[in-house]
Amino acid sequence: MLSQVIAEYHDAIVDTDQEKALRVVQDAVRGGVSPEDIVFKVVLPSMDQMMKSISESKEMSLAQHFVSARIADMVTAEMIAKFQTAPEVKGRVVIGNSYGDMHSLGRRIVIGCLKARFIEVIDVGTNVKPETFVEAAVAHDAAIIGISSMMVHTARGENGCLGVRKILKERDLEGRIKLVVGGAPYRFDHDLWKKVGADAWAMDAITAGKVIEDLIEEVRK
Amino acid sequence: MITGMERLVAAIKGEASDRIPIFCNLIDQGAIELGMSPKEYFSRGEYVAEAQLKMLRKYGHDNVWSLFYVGKEAQLVGRTKILYAADGPPNVEDFVIRAYDDIHNLEVPQDVSTHPAFEESAKCMQILKREVGGKNPICAYVTATMTLPAILMGMDQWMELLFFGPPNLREELLVKCHELFVKEVAAYRKAGADVLIYSNPFGSTDTVPFKYFVEHSLEWIERDIGAVGPEGLVYYSGMAAINEVIDIVLERTGIGVYYLSNLDNVAEGKRIVAGRGLTCGVINDIALIDWTEDEIRNEVRRIIGAGMPGGKFLFGTAVMPRAIPEKNIRAMLEAAYRFGSYENTEETLRNRASTQVSV
Repeated sequence: MLSQVIAEYHDAIVDTDQEKALRVVQDAVRGGVSPEDIVFKVVLPSMDQMMKSISESKEMSLAQHFVSARIADMVTAEMIAKFQTAPEVKGRVVIGNSYGDMHSLGRRIVIGCLKARFIEVIDVGTNVKPETFVEAAVAHDAAIIGISSMMVHTARGENGCLGVRKILKERDLEGRIKLVVGGAPYRFDHDLWKKVGADAWAMDAITAGKVIEDLIEEVRK
Repeated sequence: MITGMERLVAAIKGEASDRIPIFCNLIDQGAIELGMSPKEYFSRGEYVAEAQLKMLRKYGHDNVWSLFYVGKEAQLVGRTKILYAADGPPNVEDFVIRAYDDIHNLEVPQDVSTHPAFEESAKCMQILKREVGGKNPICAYVTATMTLPAILMGMDQWMELLFFGPPNLREELLVKCHELFVKEVAAYRKAGADVLIYSNPFGSTDTVPFKYFVEHSLEWIERDIGAVGPEGLVYYSGMAAINEVIDIVLERTGIGVYYLSNLDNVAEGKRIVAGRGLTCGVINDIALIDWTEDEIRNEVRRIIGAGMPGGKFLFGTAVMPRAIPEKNIRAMLEAAYRFGSYENTEETLRNRASTQVSV
């Protein structure tokens, strides 16, 4: 039964059909699939399957990323409430758009993916100054700062990742806080993340969830 | 001397001229040319026109632009707050549609051409028409119905409404956006635009899956083009890839020019268009910021080499970020003039290119 649930849920995500995806989950729970299995064997593997498709050049569209992240976030929140024991939070991330950048779609998709991976998110919103990112990370003891930029000047400028890196260096925080970047300019220049002083980047928002999860593990070691 | 317009007309007809048309979209560079802040520069149509003409003389490409910045379209239907940056394009900070109820109150102007928010664009067009009308293609930028809501309410809010919102509200917004699109096209044509860039990221499978494109985006594309006709329209999806949709769009709408993404395979795009229209090969102008002159030359050569054989081809840029050094703009254009010349046979082109690479 579970393999059928996995396939139907994934098909619904690919078709950007939220109604069908939620119906598949609800029917599965009614049919005896545990909330834990819904999250760990259906929702997360579906996200991994999307990443695999992307890596195999079967590009997923922005809309599929958006729908997938939104549903994953909704289903995970609903299922967690029904877990036998509360899951352990894997880590904490501060996420926002770089200064001057008002494009929140990518950030929202990443947030949905992170929550589905049990990563706590502190969303600092759009048009965020470098010092605000760092202050939020320190205040919430976050291991990662995620910076989303949709425009070239907000990705490359002194008030973007470069500015955050400068503050981390000045305050000797580089060992404890890592920087992850993403957004359109990075898709067109695959070395840009290095030029702006990031520790990692992700080609798309779904992959960003995994990249951040892996980086949290690295900081913990 | 042959003009940019004559080059474009020759390319459309599949005839040779001195070289292929070269469209270089210098928008944010205008403020640098005039030594102004972007806020001051974009405040007046005279400034934009003056800079376009200055850059045309300086670089020798073929087209001029009446575009200020993309968010300006939103000002035709409401008040928006624009966030100006010293080093990049203006950005919409506060959207016209903040809540679903705002959709009901959205009013499309009777006549865009006389609307105060169009005044500076009209002035710019008037100057361009007077100075280079008939000699250089004058370009205008019009956002498609399916994409206009993203400018009015933000991309994430539009995605939310599109996929999860009330269908009647979505329809109401799209109908209003379609009305605005039709009136904008009429205003730009009346003002003298030769080329209308029909911008539609939702017309790309990078944004929506192909199935969704066929079932939803295509319907609005057909309605848009059905209402204004395909004359002078260029199919463009932001920087998103379009090869997958070219054939069906061409068949259903008759649009004659396809402005590829640098993510598209140029030869494949040309093969799909199959002589039924013009194909534009586009350089990755974000990478252009840091490329060396050799890298630029090789990339231009690659694009033109893939698209030029058989004619009906032009070379173009996408957004041309302000950070691109002037020497890189020059290197790109010089390479395009050289490799896009019809005086070069394919054989000499290959020989020259191999010499370049070995140097």
